[in-house]
Amino acid sequence: MTDPDRTADEAVDVVLVDDHHLFRTGVRASLDERVRVVGEAASVDEAVRVVHELAPPVVLLDVHLPGGDGGGGAEVLRACADLPGTRFLALSVSDASEDVVAVIRAGARGYVTKAIDGPALSDAVRRVADGDAVFSPRLAGFVLDAFGTAAGDVATGDDELDRLSAREREVMRLIARGYTYREVASELFISIKTVETHVSAVLRKLQLSSRHELTRWAAARRLL
Amino acid sequence: MSVTCDDAVMDTTAGTPPTARAARPPLRRPTRGRWVGGVATGVAAHLGLRVPVVRVAFVVLSVLGGTGVLLYGFWWLTVPPGDPWGAAAATRPSALSRIARRPDATGEPGRRWPVTDIAIGVLLVAVAAVLVAVRGDRVDAGWVLPVLVVIAGAALAWSQLDEVARGRLRNRAGGRTPVSVVRLLGGVLLAGIGVLLVVGQATGSGVDAATFVQSVVASLAVLAGVAIVVAPWWLRLWRALADERAARARESERADIAAHLHDSVLQTLALIRARSDDPGEVARMARAQERELREWLYADRPAPGTSLAAALRAVVAEVEDSRSGPGGEPVAVDTVVVGDRVPDEATAALLQATREALVNAVVHGRPPVSLYLEVGEAQVEVFVKDRGDGFDVEAVGPDRFGVRESILGRVRRRGGTAAVTSRPGQGTEVHLVMPYAAVPEAAAPEGAPPETGTDADERAGLRAQHRAQEER
Repeated sequence: MTDPDRTADEAVDVVLVDDHHLFRTGVRASLDERVRVVGEAASVDEAVRVVHELAPPVVLLDVHLPGGDGGGGAEVLRACADLPGTRFLALSVSDASEDVVAVIRAGARGYVTKAIDGPALSDAVRRVADGDAVFSPRLAGFVLDAFGTAAGDVATGDDELDRLSAREREVMRLIARGYTYREVASELFISIKTVETHVSAVLRKLQLSSRHELTRWAAARRLL
Repeated sequence: MSVTCDDAVMDTTAGTPPTARAARPPLRRPTRGRWVGGVATGVAAHLGLRVPVVRVAFVVLSVLGGTGVLLYGFWWLTVPPGDPWGAAAATRPSALSRIARRPDATGEPGRRWPVTDIAIGVLLVAVAAVLVAVRGDRVDAGWVLPVLVVIAGAALAWSQLDEVARGRLRNRAGGRTPVSVVRLLGGVLLAGIGVLLVVGQATGSGVDAATFVQSVVASLAVLAGVAIVVAPWWLRLWRALADERAARARESERADIAAHLHDSVLQTLALIRARSDDPGEVARMARAQERELREWLYADRPAPGTSLAAALRAVVAEVEDSRSGPGGEPVAVDTVVVGDRVPDEATAALLQATREALVNAVVHGRPPVSLYLEVGEAQVEVFVKDRGDGFDVEAVGPDRFGVRESILGRVRRRGGTAAVTSRPGQGTEVHLVMPYAAVPEAAAPEGAPPETGTDADERAGLRAQHRAQEER
């Protein structure tokens, strides 16, 4: 799924959206040479304008943003849904499940917390640019909680949106345990590409699933 | 259930199981199934007796000297109305309700119309009228009857205020429930009739129909006029009251936040400034403060002793605060929790073992240290992983009690399984499983190593596990 316009060594262009100047400066300094910050924005309206102007391959998006209709990062995601080449990586200091679910449901390709270190963040940006999903241990935990860990929760068919397959659940549990994609691959004797396929499938289910548990789970947190 | 991902400072006594609560509902007067005031039904529910037994007891006590009537009257006045079983459910610890949410105890609402009350009232009035009619002119019926009617009406209307004052939820809406409307209308009607009778008595020997109708129309007109004049003022007063309530709620929330920020965040910032020459200590304080603030902002605080997740977070907080990595630097534990349950003795042992594993990972391993706890259908699983140099598990001598006794032995004695996976240069992972019904021969859970409770699971080299060191 690699972007054809970009060779493996070329830096990824990124727009940084966060309302705290201090934090933007910090992220800029921590990203390594594989990532290039081409624009910044501090509010919903500014973000929508800058992202449409630059159409970068990756946007680092804070979940809580001022401006717009008060929808924060999810609002930016919805307003930028017309840009097929732009992928979003949500970045937040919040642990609240409603924040995570809102941005993922709105179309973000991953969710990392702001405690992430520079190399790991650069890596996540590269991964998102390549079309893969980025799951932190926390997001994997959210997924396991939302889709259930009971034995009856295993999907039997590939097209089933409301349940994880046994393999997907295994991958999620390993990620929640702190394994990197590479470690997951070697633990399960599969390739990293297969791990990425599984993770992308889980992300799709998280975005599209109508699983009643997930709906109820979100409704309990006033999301729907 | 939520995944609470960070660590929380919490005063949970991380092992004591919650004391079993006697399932006795509090004393309430239920509206369902009552004959008069619901006292007998409530007492029966509270004591766990059958309702007819209590009723007979009341009757017997009443016959023998009237104690029953007195007791009944006393409880009628002092015991709040309500659903005893609903009240019992409401007093369950909130964390339990979060784990297994019960449907709201609203159920079917009580009777909407106080049919019995109205019937009794009508009966009483009729009996009184008959009595007065039979006994003729021995009392001054012309005066006593109207005054009695006025008093009855006023009592009916004002009794509503009393109920509101007693905090009855159904009347919180202030006269909008059918019961209170009936009460108000009945009271006004009775009082009006009484007043008219009094006026008729005072003005002449009797009330002829024309004067009666005229005076009713006139008084209604006056009332309508007053209502039109007063309505806007009353509405404004009502709105002002609502606004003031909302403002007071906001104010108290602000005060709460300010107090918390002052007590914790500002003090930590001052401490950090004072110790700015010690990066390790600053990082540790910042981490502790972050944990506390997160818990305050995001977690719904479960009652102590009811949440395994909270107990685990307390353990993590303790380890983060008290232990340092090999170079003396503070180590953050990346914690992910899926599911939650009430802790018991088995999970207390599991938490103790988890703590030992965490201390090992922090002190001897290398960050990031990951902790994963999953509450499954039949067991609780814990994984503790670090990125240290690892060690050869086989080479650990039997005299090294750290791993063997405090982690593995502790879990196995409770019927759980434990395994340590470590290879030199690839970090260490401790896997603990504790089944709910702690039987000594616990089955291996899905996705867990096949060894059960023997020393075999320590022989990690047998496991086909090749985890390359992370390239980054």
